[in-house]
Amino acid sequence: MNAREQILADVQNALHRTSDAPVAAISASARIAPRTPDDANAEMNMLFEEIGKLGGATGRVKKNEIKAALEKLVKEQEVKKATLWNTGELEELGIAQILTELGVQLVSPLADKRAMAECDLGVTGVDYAFPETGTLMLRALPDKPRAVSLLPRVHLAIVSPSALRADLGPAFAEVRGDNYWIFITGPSRTADIELTVTIGVHGAKALYVWQVI
Amino acid sequence: MSQIPTHINFRTNVKNVPPHMPVSVRKATSKFLGTRQAVVDVVGDERWQALRQAGHEIRLHSLTHMDHYLTRLEEKVRAAGGIVHWARDAAEAKQIVLELAKERGVKRAVKVKSMATEEIGLNHALQENGISVLETDLGEFIIQLAGVGPSHIIVPAVHLTKEGIAELFTQKLGVDAPPDPLKLCAIARTRLREEFLSADLGISGANFMVAETGTLVIVTNEGNGRMCTTLPPLHIAVVGIDKVVPDWESVNVLLKLLPRSATGQKMSAYTSFITGPRRSNEEGGPKEFHLVLLDNGRTRIMKDEVTRETLLCIRCGVCLNVCPVYNNVGGHAYGFAYSGPIGAMLSTQLLGMKTAADLPFASSLCGACAEFCPVKIPIPEILLRLRHRAVEGDQIERAAAPAVIQAGVKLGTLSFSLPWLYEFGTQMLKYIQAPLRKNGWLPNLPPPANRWTMARPLPAFGADFRAWFRKRKNERQR
Ligand code: SF4
Repeated sequence: MNAREQILADVQNALHRTSDAPVAAISASARIAPRTPDDANAEMNMLFEEIGKLGGATGRVKKNEIKAALEKLVKEQEVKKATLWNTGELEELGIAQILTELGVQLVSPLADKRAMAECDLGVTGVDYAFPETGTLMLRALPDKPRAVSLLPRVHLAIVSPSALRADLGPAFAEVRGDNYWIFITGPSRTADIELTVTIGVHGAKALYVWQVI
Repeated sequence: MSQIPTHINFRTNVKNVPPHMPVSVRKATSKFLGTRQAVVDVVGDERWQALRQAGHEIRLHSLTHMDHYLTRLEEKVRAAGGIVHWARDAAEAKQIVLELAKERGVKRAVKVKSMATEEIGLNHALQENGISVLETDLGEFIIQLAGVGPSHIIVPAVHLTKEGIAELFTQKLGVDAPPDPLKLCAIARTRLREEFLSADLGISGANFMVAETGTLVIVTNEGNGRMCTTLPPLHIAVVGIDKVVPDWESVNVLLKLLPRSATGQKMSAYTSFITGPRRSNEEGGPKEFHLVLLDNGRTRIMKDEVTRETLLCIRCGVCLNVCPVYNNVGGHAYGFAYSGPIGAMLSTQLLGMKTAADLPFASSLCGACAEFCPVKIPIPEILLRLRHRAVEGDQIERAAAPAVIQAGVKLGTLSFSLPWLYEFGTQMLKYIQAPLRKNGWLPNLPPPANRWTMARPLPAFGADFRAWFRKRKNERQR
């Protein structure tokens, strides 16, 4: 018997099951009512409040003030190189162009990982957001490379109200065919040294989350 | 800790616990319990209890239909382009990883904190074969430098001070390290950054495996988990078969329970959901994905209907935090990767009575762990059953007298003492929980319970159980 057959046989023996014994669907999770959402504005406030508690910087930015906001961020964080998702949404906001105008060197999100690691800033959208926990969910697709939110020192995520979901369930249902996604809840942190919470271990040292209005 | 122990003598280990251990451990456990309580309060007790009940049922269902979900999982991982391996024991699992690494000429591996790979001693096996393995979770990185095992499931280096860590960094990394957590963290970040970029293999475990879609769920805080499972071209996950869950509805419930119980976070900083290797070159991520499904004693654990519930565990570590015994001795005394009540249950069954018969006795059976366990594992009941197995043996294992019993406790006294202890423990629970709700912890207990919870009692359990028991009995009769 090979390892696979043996393990499965051992499991079945221990459980007194036969290989084709049917399995009834499990209903336990259905008893947990999903969270009821408030209106979109309140939900966004809650999201921002939770992210703020974790050390992220959140805000609503008017469309015509994006440049000023980016300029401030670039200064604050001494951004010299940046990379961003290749999505229509970010393109429409003109983020790439503004960054270039601000003298920031743009690195392709498809660049080699070492080039990505040299970026100071990575800009992404947000596919889903969960206000209760302050969580952003980012999918990984050809125009949404994983490394943009991972390797740069600073992560700026642009979230819109349509991304808000009161509970994880609906988001899971919508993306379960994907091969990868990530939940980001605040900047990277550790409490491994004397339980002192230290922000910015391996992932982003700073997290900015903006809603463009 | 890369060596699998052949004998655990809890009593001796307890004697070797350094005096500062209970102090650092309690600092951690009381902090975790405080933040946990705060987030559980936000959820509300009624909903929290409903979540725990659902969590229990989900995990029990996964366990009692494991063959079904494992085959489903395998099929889905394959369909996603991943390769599934099965390992009966530690040796097979190590062999699989080693062969994969050798075939691909792997020289440097980076690792995400994973209890399963600790359990099988994977690092040691790879290093012996000339492959460098680096733990990248900050706590694990520190204890790897220090050459010791984890003292807590969630914060493995909890027993070390910032001064100690600074000294370690200065010695082992050859850098000038000040005793400042922020600076130490920065040193580790720089050091590990280069390793992430140059590693040719990323090794992880998983918190859950979702049968419905073949997805691994990995919960981390530092971002190292993302690095290890995104940057190297090869990702190998070694996961115990007990980690399988049916579907996304289950994950939804379990993700509400795990981070809140473990660290008092509503959600950990990063949770990765990985189904097979990358699908497009553009998105990035590993080209190759392998999943090693590990038995290593788990199917044996499943034979006993009572103790099998050990496998419901989601490794949150809250049972350590509330355990009076753990709070007194820290993780190392348990002699293996798993410590506290979960260690007392799981190590005993994984390693066998011959090695670990002491461990089910490393508990006062006060029941606090079961009250807090997010998936409602009847921990005292399981420990009791394991004590009986240690003394009498059963269809699963022959008896193996632990040190406590060799020290003179006769079988009659033992079985007599247990219900009494249980009752005592139930009374203790009142004392334990009251200050907990106020985020306080055991040092503030009112007398007479404080005597029991301060420094002495645990060695008393280990060293002279009978005398301790008589003394307590006399005191009660007085
Ligand atoms: S036994 Fe329960 S409380 Fe302990 S680590 Fe496992 S899930 Fe958490």
